[in-house]
This record gives sequence, structure tokens and C-alpha cells, in this order.
Amino acid sequence: MSLTYLFFLSSGLFLGWSLGANDVSNIFGAAVGSKMLKFKTAAFIASFFIICGAVFGGSGTTETLTKLGDVNALAGSFMVALSAAVTVYFMAKTGLTTSTSQAIVGGIIGWNLYTGKQTNITILLKIISGWVICPFLSAGIAILLYFTLKNLINKCHIHVLMQHQLLRLGLILSGAFCTYALGANNIANVMGVFVDSAPFESVKIGFFTFNPAQILFFLGGLAISIGIFTYSQKVMATIGTHLMKLSPFIAFVIVFSQAVVLFVFSSSTLQNALHTLSLPALPLVPVSSTQAVIGAILGIGLIKGGHGINWSITGKIVTGWFTTPVFTLIICFTCLFFLENVFNQIVFLP
Amino acid sequence: MFNVKVALFAHTKELEHKIDELHDKIVEISMVFKKAVRLFLQEKRSLNYRKLSKEIKIIEHDADVLRRDIESSLYAQNLIPDFRGDVLELVENLDKVINEFDEVAHQFYIEDPDVPKIYHEQLKELVDEVCECAENLAFASRAFFKDFSAVRNYSKKVYLLEHESDKTTAKLKEAIFASDMELAHKLQLKTFLSEVADIADLAENCVDQLLIYVIKRDI
Repeated sequence: MSLTYLFFLSSGLFLGWSLGANDVSNIFGAAVGSKMLKFKTAAFIASFFIICGAVFGGSGTTETLTKLGDVNALAGSFMVALSAAVTVYFMAKTGLTTSTSQAIVGGIIGWNLYTGKQTNITILLKIISGWVICPFLSAGIAILLYFTLKNLINKCHIHVLMQHQLLRLGLILSGAFCTYALGANNIANVMGVFVDSAPFESVKIGFFTFNPAQILFFLGGLAISIGIFTYSQKVMATIGTHLMKLSPFIAFVIVFSQAVVLFVFSSSTLQNALHTLSLPALPLVPVSSTQAVIGAILGIGLIKGGHGINWSITGKIVTGWFTTPVFTLIICFTCLFFLENVFNQIVFLP
Repeated sequence: MFNVKVALFAHTKELEHKIDELHDKIVEISMVFKKAVRLFLQEKRSLNYRKLSKEIKIIEHDADVLRRDIESSLYAQNLIPDFRGDVLELVENLDKVINEFDEVAHQFYIEDPDVPKIYHEQLKELVDEVCECAENLAFASRAFFKDFSAVRNYSKKVYLLEHESDKTTAKLKEAIFASDMELAHKLQLKTFLSEVADIADLAENCVDQLLIYVIKRDI
């Protein structure tokens, strides 16, 4: 791997780092903040499973993004990822809910427009439908899970202390599941645009053979892990204390709902199984983990009477669906022009 | 890893056991106390009463040991961090009820009050109400750990019994002060009655807090 390649890859790695710092905090924030789990334990679990998810389950969503726009030059990939990272950074600063998934889609469309390539509208609609379904599905799952578990606890008369231990175990397992699903779903945002230009060769380790894309996803997973270890503790502390109004039980419901949502939007195995059973399957698209969390919180809030729900947040979600891709598109389009004409870089191959 | 988890659950089970035992101690001490007061009214400060008083002291001591164990285990095992403070407060309050039983029994032994026969039945009635009140507190508190829906039922009983004990105490005090006993004697009996009734008051305070914990914990 040359230094030039590493330089161009840096924008994707930066995006991965910010994903680790922010999105993983949504998963383990409540558990760490309420002292149910130590930060180090959470960080190790998250890092391990996010890398596993990225390497073994990241192909489904990557394929969808590639169908949307096949970014075929390294400098072009660099700019798509960089514009997504910049948009996410500034959108987060303004307090709007944003996601790397929405940003990267904007970036790819920007690249398509700049290079004059056709954007696959069917795929685009598929992706947008995923964004819209995501918070609603998350809310539905959270409501269902909340009622089921609450009834179960009330019927089983489990001792409070045992409940606590089971909940702790549940938070670890659902956190692991959720980080795996996050890795599988969101690695496409971080590394998807670099797949075509990956300079790696397949590697065989034991029983496993890793293709170039998987090696790239492993690097992306490492960047996410670094984000987890270097910056997520701060974010977790904020989220944890902010979410402390939610009990660890509700935190578990939210994390589990988020995990299921991310999983159904990224698992090719599940999609194939549903197709075999002639059941409708959701598209394999990268969705926003933050919006899945917000959806679950709103779901729980609704069944608790809807008091104290900040409805403006739903407005922010909907705004994010449009503003994030549009901003990234504009930044990407403009910067590709400069990258090609001022810095003489090849941003696409005809 | 599996062994670690199993050991963790075993420690938790042990702690559950200790909390259960603390509740048992309340039931146990109230039964012995009931027996002790009846014995005192019959035999006053006899050797048998002394034995029962000692038994009460032992129960109180065991409860103290249990309380300390529970408190330290909750921290050592990092259990229920979100409402550990509430549980610690509850355990402290349960222990206060147990201490009050011990104090009153000891007071009977030290002061050896002369309770005229005409008040015996009413005093027994008061002791029964107070003991039942404490027992229901133990049931309510036990339910808090296992079955939230039952806490309210037992709490209601505690409130009713406390109210009854207040009425019985007031009636007894009225009768005592209407009698032609020495004022010092009247005051001594009044203090005793108040101390016995205090057990029910402590139980009521404890249940008040318990109900707040239930609201806080309601998922």
C-alpha cells in the first residue's frame, strides 16, 4: 500500500473515526453512563464486533452504494468521503441529526453529476425508503419489545438483583449485536467508495480467505475502533448522563431495537431467507444509527403518554434526509472540480 | 468466561438470600416481641422474659450484620447502580424498625414498669397491631424486590394498622390519664405506649419511601 493510496484513503478513515466516536456512543452510552458497564469493556466489545461486522457482513450495503455510483478513481473516492465527513461535521455542529449514510449518498450523486454518469433512480429511491422506514421500524420494534419484556418481568417475579445482572448481560449482548450490525451496515459509508480502487490481494488466514474489499473493510473497522478508544468515552459520558432519565431497561430496549433495524438493513442472509419464504425483504442500504435510536426513543416516549417528547426532533430528522445529501452533493461537486483542474488529479475513469 | 458469569450469578443469589433473611428477621423479631410483652405482663422481669429479651438482642445483632453485608456487597458487586441509594436507604430503615423492637423490649427490662391489669388487654391489642404492621412492612419490602404489584397491597395494610395502633394508643393514654395513678406512673406508661407505637410509625415512614421507590422504578 503506497503512501499516496494511504493519503487518499485518509478521508474514509477519518469518516470511520468519527463513526466510532459518535455512533458507537449511541449504543453503549446509556450502559457506560449508568455505570452498568465499564468504558474499557464496552470499547473492547464494540471494537471487536464492529470489525467482525464490517469484514463479514459489509458486502450487502456496499453493493447497493456501488450500484448507485461506481466511483472508479482513487482521488474521486477521496473527495466523496471527504465531502461526506465535512458535511457530517458541520451538520453535527448545527445540532441537526445527520448521518454518514445520507452524506455519502449525497457525495456519490455529486460524483455522478460531475462525471456525467447516470444515477440509478431505482436504487436511490430504495435508499431513501430505507431512511424513512428506519426510524419508524425502530419505534415499532422498541414498542413491541418494551411490552413483551415488561409483561415477562411482571409475570416471572424475577428478583431485582437478578434482573439487574440479566440486564447487564443483555446490554453486553445487544451491544455486541448492535455494533456488529453497525459495522455491517455502515462500513459501506466509510470504505464503500474505495472498493473499486483497492490495491490489495486476497489473503488466506486459516480457514478464511479475505478478498481485497474485506481487507479494506478491516482497515475501516480499525479506524472506527480508534474512534471508539480515542473519543467515544467523552461522547458516551454526555449521552449517558443525558439518557440517564431512561432506565437501563429502556436503554436495553433501545439498543436492541437499533441492532435489529441495522441488521435487517444489512444482512444478505436474512434477505435471502425472506426471499426464499416469499416474504417481503427490506433493501440492503446503509441507514442512520442515530435516527434508529431516536426512532426507538420516540416509540417508548409515545407509549409512555407522549409527554416530554420534543417533537421538533422529528422535524430535524426529516430535514436531515434532504439537507445532508444536498450539502454533500454541492461540496463534492465543487471540490471535484478543483481537485481535477487545480490539483490535476484523475477523479474518474471514463 | 462462563465460570465468571456463573460465579457472578452465584454471588447475586447469595445477596438475594441475605436481603430475604433481613426481612425474615423483622417477622421473627416481631413474633418474639409479641411473646415477650405478653410474658412481661404475666411475670414482669422474670428469667423467662430475660431470655426473650436476649433473643431479641441476638436477632437485632444478626440484622445489623446482614445490613452491613448487604451494603458492602451492593457496592462490591457494582449492582443496581441506578437505584442502589434507594435500596441502601430501605435496608437502613428496615434495620431501624428492628432496632426499635430491641430498644422497647430492653426498656421494659430496665424500667420494669407496673402496668395495671385493666390495661393489659388493650396493651396486647396495641402490640399485636404494631407487630402486624411491622410484618406487613417486611412483606411489602420483600415484594419490592420481586413483585412490584404486591407492594401496594401490603402498604395499604401497613397504613391501616398504623392508624389502628394510633387509635389504640390514644384510647389507652386517655384511660391512663383519667385514672387515679401517680402522675410519674402515668408519664412512665405514656412513654412506653409512645415507644411501642413508634414501631408502627417507623414502619409507615418506611412504606412511604417504598412507594416512592416503586414509582421511580416503574419501567
